[in-house]
Order: sequence, then structure tokens, then C-alpha cells
Amino acid sequence: MLRFLRRRLLLMIPVLLGLSVITFAVSRLVPGDPVKLAAGPQARPEQIEKLAREFGLDRPLPEQYFRYMAGLAQGNWGYSISTKREVGPDLVTFFAATLELTIVSTIIGLLIGVPLAIVSARWRDRWPDHASRFISIGTVSVPVFWIAIILQIVLAQNLKLLPVSGRFDPRATYPTVHTGMLLIDTLIGGDLQAFGTALRYMIIPAFCQSLLVIALVTRQLRGDMLDIVRKDFVLVARANGIPERTIWTRYLMKNALIATISMLGFIIGFQLGGAPLIEYVLDWPGIGQYALKAALLLDFQPIMGSTLFIGCVVVIINLITDMLYRVIDPRIGLN
Amino acid sequence: MSKNSFDPTGKLFDEFRAGRINRRQFLKLVAAMTGGTALSAVPAFAAAKNYRSVLASPLRQIEPKVLVYGASQDIATLDPFDRVDYSISAVIRQLYDRLFRFEGGWPQPIEPGLVTEWGVSDDAREWTFTLTDKAVFHDGTPVTAESVVFSYQQTLRAQKQRSSLLAGFVDEAGIVAKDSQTVVMTLKTPYASFDRLLAFLEQPIVNMEIAKANEVDGDGGGAYLIDKEAGSGPFTIKNWQIGSVYELEAVPDYWQGWPGEGRLSGVVWKKTEDAGTRKLGLLSGDFDISDTISATDIAEIDANGSTFTNVGFGLLAGYFKYNTQSGPTADPNFRKFLAYSFNRQAFSDSQQGYVKLMTGPLPEGVPGYDPNLDPQYSYDPSKAKEYLDMTEYKDGGISLDFVYVSGLDFEEAGGLILLDELQKYNITLNLVPKNWPDIVGACTAPDTGPAVAFIFDQFPPLPDTWLIEKYSSKSWDRPTGGSYQACSFYKNEEVDTLLDSLRTTTDAAANAALVAEIQSKISADVPDMPLYVNPNITGLNKRVKGFNYYGDIAVDFWRLWIDES
Repeated sequence: MLRFLRRRLLLMIPVLLGLSVITFAVSRLVPGDPVKLAAGPQARPEQIEKLAREFGLDRPLPEQYFRYMAGLAQGNWGYSISTKREVGPDLVTFFAATLELTIVSTIIGLLIGVPLAIVSARWRDRWPDHASRFISIGTVSVPVFWIAIILQIVLAQNLKLLPVSGRFDPRATYPTVHTGMLLIDTLIGGDLQAFGTALRYMIIPAFCQSLLVIALVTRQLRGDMLDIVRKDFVLVARANGIPERTIWTRYLMKNALIATISMLGFIIGFQLGGAPLIEYVLDWPGIGQYALKAALLLDFQPIMGSTLFIGCVVVIINLITDMLYRVIDPRIGLN
Repeated sequence: MSKNSFDPTGKLFDEFRAGRINRRQFLKLVAAMTGGTALSAVPAFAAAKNYRSVLASPLRQIEPKVLVYGASQDIATLDPFDRVDYSISAVIRQLYDRLFRFEGGWPQPIEPGLVTEWGVSDDAREWTFTLTDKAVFHDGTPVTAESVVFSYQQTLRAQKQRSSLLAGFVDEAGIVAKDSQTVVMTLKTPYASFDRLLAFLEQPIVNMEIAKANEVDGDGGGAYLIDKEAGSGPFTIKNWQIGSVYELEAVPDYWQGWPGEGRLSGVVWKKTEDAGTRKLGLLSGDFDISDTISATDIAEIDANGSTFTNVGFGLLAGYFKYNTQSGPTADPNFRKFLAYSFNRQAFSDSQQGYVKLMTGPLPEGVPGYDPNLDPQYSYDPSKAKEYLDMTEYKDGGISLDFVYVSGLDFEEAGGLILLDELQKYNITLNLVPKNWPDIVGACTAPDTGPAVAFIFDQFPPLPDTWLIEKYSSKSWDRPTGGSYQACSFYKNEEVDTLLDSLRTTTDAAANAALVAEIQSKISADVPDMPLYVNPNITGLNKRVKGFNYYGDIAVDFWRLWIDES
């Protein structure tokens, strides 16, 4: 296991280096002038030169790249040319919001998706199967941001059950930040009322984010279960009188989960990269919005930082996914 | 030396006439002033600083509440030496005091902030500002001339966006404290409107002790103040979490008092970039105010029983900028053809009438604005054809790029109206949506500049600034290139000469005549087509009181209160 881990961690280095080169090239070769943009329209020539000097943008591109990477190796993610804030702490702050949303939406997605898949496969081609497939196809067929707007109108504006947007009640005292994930921070602070408030604010964004998980888990798991249900060991289990419920929830489920976990790893990695549209509509201060804004302003160091950060996260999630295979099925070699 | 001072009696009448105080309050205050004057022992109204505190204190009966403000933009920084945009300024105005205020109404009147009296030497170079002795920073220390000097000097030293205009008029050595209450600024060149310039540059006055205690590499505490404050304004920071929470808390005993019948206890700046969500936030009661409301949402907000909208026009003006140095648009007759070809009324209709069409280079609200400027380019196909025939492109067969900001449908609408018209002349208009940084980059030089670009400009309401930044060739014909504001690449030596003399002409009448002459000459050359002033549409809950439109996207929280009754 340790050898596997070491090899995979070493493999991360060329992957991230490649990513850094591509991101650097793309962000610096697109048209536009980040210095002029940041200096403002009435900037005097000496201001533009000073700003370019401060951010090292007056140097040749290869030198800029190596200076950035050297800084990164020392834990310095750079500064935003637009806000002058350090990129590292910003990434942590915005990523915490995205991580919280991803965790909750994945849990919701699994809680709904797995039972739907079992029901669908167990009663194949009967009405529960049709209903389940309708839900799973429907959720991926409709743009998520549109569902978010409908939920805002119905649940927030008309029924006034949930807030329209944001992470916490602006009129309430904001919880003390420990992890940046408000559900956890409110629990650490022992404030159940604040926990409830944070949960209310989480419902619409998490539900919207979970729709993709529901759809993909349901379809993948259903298909795998229907494949496995025809296998000999299921026939043997039935012949031995093992109850049908046990066959479905233990034997079938365990064998069908491998592909689902692989796909889940992909979805989580994708969601941890942020969902700019959902974050935009629901005003969720996640890393997707942060990266998008940086890209629109050609804010070079936040672009590099968010891309590499998300890249690291995706690689780590894939690593965890690979290790989970082994946990579920010890027959699978780590090689 | 000519002197200006604050006249509280006149101001009181203005407030009454504008409906900001009622008859009863007005009579009370007049009685108080008369009694005070008779006794010659109550100097409460002798200085501007006391006016508002005396005005406000006895009238405040309503329990202060927190106001939630749905804003279309994040607050990138609170560094008082760095940069400005509408959201940064809206919040910094509440945390810091400035020499002057301009939020009293529209068009924006100049009102004293920290100054009680100011004057200028006869040659319009030496400006003297006397400060109130009542102002205190939030840590209780007095606001002195030294802090004012430090704040201006540090902005100039930092050489960031906030310093851009100021640096053209004064350098660090030109700003000195004569004594603890007097600041003298000696300009590099005479400038008769320097007080107005200072008012609109809004330099926040920073507590020098706090700033210097947190200074790193000569930044004057700028990095420290990115998410903190060291001011003397009516609000202080309660909670500041980047991207999540921007919460201000009122300073109940603010030295200048509170101008309304009540006041707020705090403000939450709720960044909500999606216009639809801002509307829903207002309608659901989550937000008390939402800015930058879409024109299509006005009817719905007004029809809702508890909300209403305010449509005001400020200084954000949209222009079709023609590249006067390159391609077909280098020919003035072709530019006139384009200008006469555009159906402004159709554009106004496409925006449901919520636009203020422009008549010349200066928008309404800027001194020198002329609604009857000649020439103006109203839609006239016969004149368009007449001018096209004077060019080498009379048979068409050419194509032009029309560049606009990607995603802005009102800019695209402008392009579509022009495209439709140009087709009649066998001219193809390519609508090219671009990201804003691309447009800024393209506007650096004529060879990369688009044939036509739909660009919005905004400056302080000073005619010289508008005209020089947009139309002087010095604004683009330089080694570092031009800004998007000068994307017409306009060069007319006669206009350049007139523009050079604009700031040094201190006689008001001569200056006004010069502004008129320059506008006429520019209009005759058509380097751009001034199209319209963008509306600032604000949605408010009816419980919010004290709203006073002053030409900006944001509101002035100092003047607001919430009345549930």
C-alpha cells in the first residue's frame, strides 16, 4: 500500500507541472493586458510600469513562470493583481465553502440515488423503475441553475420557507470561523440555532448540486446491479435460500459499487472544482466563482493558484478512489 | 484669496426645500439658530460640523436596525490608498471621512465633510483647507491636518489607481500641514476646480497612527487595511469575511451626527451578482435594498406592495467609439455616415425607455452639458447616404468590427440596430463580443483598436476631466498606449491646444466658453457617437427611509433608517 501511495504521489508531480505549464501559457497568451486593467483607465505610464514591476510582469515569460513556481515551492501562491490579497488564504476560504457544499450534496445524492437504483433494478421495467429512470434522466436534462431559480421563486419568494441566496442569515451573528465550513463551525461553537440557520441556507444549493449525483449514481448502479443479478453467485445465493433483501442490499450492492465509486470520485472531483453557475445564482462564495472572476480579469496568479489547487484536489480524490476499490474488493490489486 | 465657507442657514433652507426635513423640524431649528445668534453664546451652527449633529440628535426616536443591501459587486479591497469602484467607494464612504461630501442629491452638490472653510489664491495654485476640530477617529483620537496630509501623500506614494487623477495636479511635497487644523496644497499648475476634484476623488482620511503602526515596506498600512479600517466615519467594521460577510456597525455618537429621523444600527453588504437573485431577495424581504435592478423587473417590484424602485441617471455614459486613425472610420465623413445611420430611438425602445439619450460628449450632470449642442446626429438616412457618398465606400462591400462586452445584451442590441441599418448600404457589421480585458488590451493603440467599440465611461463631474481623458491625443499617443476611454484615438491639434488651456483657464466664464467650443469641435469631428447615460435602478423596501438619489449605483447608508411603522 505504501509503495502504491508513494508512486501515485510521485506521479502527481509531472501531472501538476504539466498543468501549470498549460495554465500559464493559456493565461498569458490570451489577448488582454492585466496590468493596464488593474492600473485603471487613467493610469499614468509610471503607474503601469510600477505595477508591472511589482508583479514581475515586466520580465520575460519563462522567467515569470520559474519565479512563480519557485515561490509556489516555498508555499507562496502569490497575490491578486486586482485585490492585492494573498492567493493562498483566499483559496482556502473559498474552497472551504465549496468543500462543504460538495460533501452535503454528495450525501444527499447518495441518500436519494442509491435507494432509487435498488428500487429501479429490483422492479425492472415496472412502474418504480420507470419513475426512477424518469427522475434520473429528468434531473440531468434540465439546467441546474434553472432549477435553482425555480426553487428560489417557489420556496423563498412565494412560500418564504427558505432564504433566497447566500450562506448565512445576514441579520444574525455570523459564526466564528474555525474550518470555513459553517455546519461544522456552528457545531464546534455549540450553537445549534446557528447550525439550523446554516442548514436552511444549505438546502437549495446542496439539493441543486446533488441532482447530478442522483442521476449518475442511479443510472450507473442500476445498470451494474442488473448485470450482476444474472451472475452465478446470485443464483447460488438464491438456491441456498438467502433472503432476497439480503441478496440485493449486500451481495449485489457490494459488487455493483466499484464502478459507482469510480464515477463518484470523478463527480466529487468535478464538483470540488466549483460550480460557477450555481455559485453565481445562489451567491455561494465557492472556488468556482473565485476562479471565474480571476479568469475574467486576467488575474494571473489567482488563475494559476485556483487551477493548480483544483488540479491537486482532483488528483487526490482519484487516489482515494483507487484506494477505495481495494477496500471494497481486496481481490483488486493496487498495481 | 477667495474663500468658501459652509452656510448653515442656507443649507437648512435647502434641506427643507428638498423635503429632507419637515416643517416642524425646520421651525425648531430656525428657532434654535435665532436664539443662538441672539445670545451670541451658542456657536452650534457657526461651523458646518455641528449642523448635522444638532439637527439629528433630538429627533432620533426610531430604534436603529440593520439594513441588508443586495449589491451587484463584491468589495475587492478596503485599502484607502489603492483603487476605487462603486462598491469600494460605497463602503469606504461609511468608514472614513473625507474633506468634502457630494451625496446630498443630484446633480451632486459639494458639501463640507472635514473642512469648515477653504480658499484659493488668486492664481488658483495654492489651496488652503481649514478642518473642523470636532472630528475624531474611531479610537477617539482627533482628526488632524497631519492625518489629512499623510492620507493624500500616501496615496500619491503608492501610485495606484486612486492616485491617477490627483497626481496630475499635485505631488507629495505640495501637500503640507500649516497647523493642526490647516492643510495647504500647492498645485503644479493652476486649477480653479480643484476643490470639486478633491470632493469626487474622495480620498479617505486615515488615522495616521494606526496606519504607520502597521506599515510594511512603506505601504502606509495599505496591506493591513485591506480588510480593516482606521477611519472616523459613521460606521465601523463589525465582521469582514472575504467573499461571505461584509458587516458594518454604526458609531452611535458619530461626530457629525445622523441626518435622518432615525439611523441604522448596521449594514450588511450582501454581494449578489445575479440580477434575478437581487430582485428575489428584495421581493422576499431578505434584502432591504437591491442595486442594479434590471429594467425588466421594475414593474414587478413596483407592483409588489412592500417594495418600489428608483430610476436615476448618473455619470455612466455609453459611446460608440470610432477608430479615427485606422480603416474606414478614419474618414470623418464615414463616421458621420455611421452616426446618422444609428436609430437612437429604436435603441431607447429596446431598453424600454430607461435610457437618457446624450446630445454631446458631456452627459447631463457635468457642468458644461449642452442639450442643444450643434451638431447632433439624430437618425437621418438621407443625411447618412449623403455623407457615405463623400467617401470611397459609397458602394459598400466592406465589413467593420463592432466590439462590445461579452454578455451585455444592451450593448449587443446597439450593435444589432446598427447592423440592420448598414446592411442597406451593403456594409457588413461583424458583432464581436469580447471579454473586458481583451477590449482594454485592444484599445491600447490604433492598429489593434476596433473600428467601432461600444464602451462606457465614467468620470467625476468635471468637464475638463471628461474632455481631456477621452479626447486629448496625449491620452493615447504615448509609449504605454491609451486607455479604453481614449479608444477613438482622436487627434486634432486645435482641440489638443484648447484642451491644454482648459485647466489653466481659471476665469469661470472663459472656462465655460472654452468647454462649449471644445465640445462643438469634437462633435463636428465625430470621434465617437455619445449614445446614452445608463440608468441606476435601485429597488427598495418601503420601510427604508431617507433614500436620497445622488447619481451613484449605491446608496448613502448614513442618511438611511428603517421605519417599521
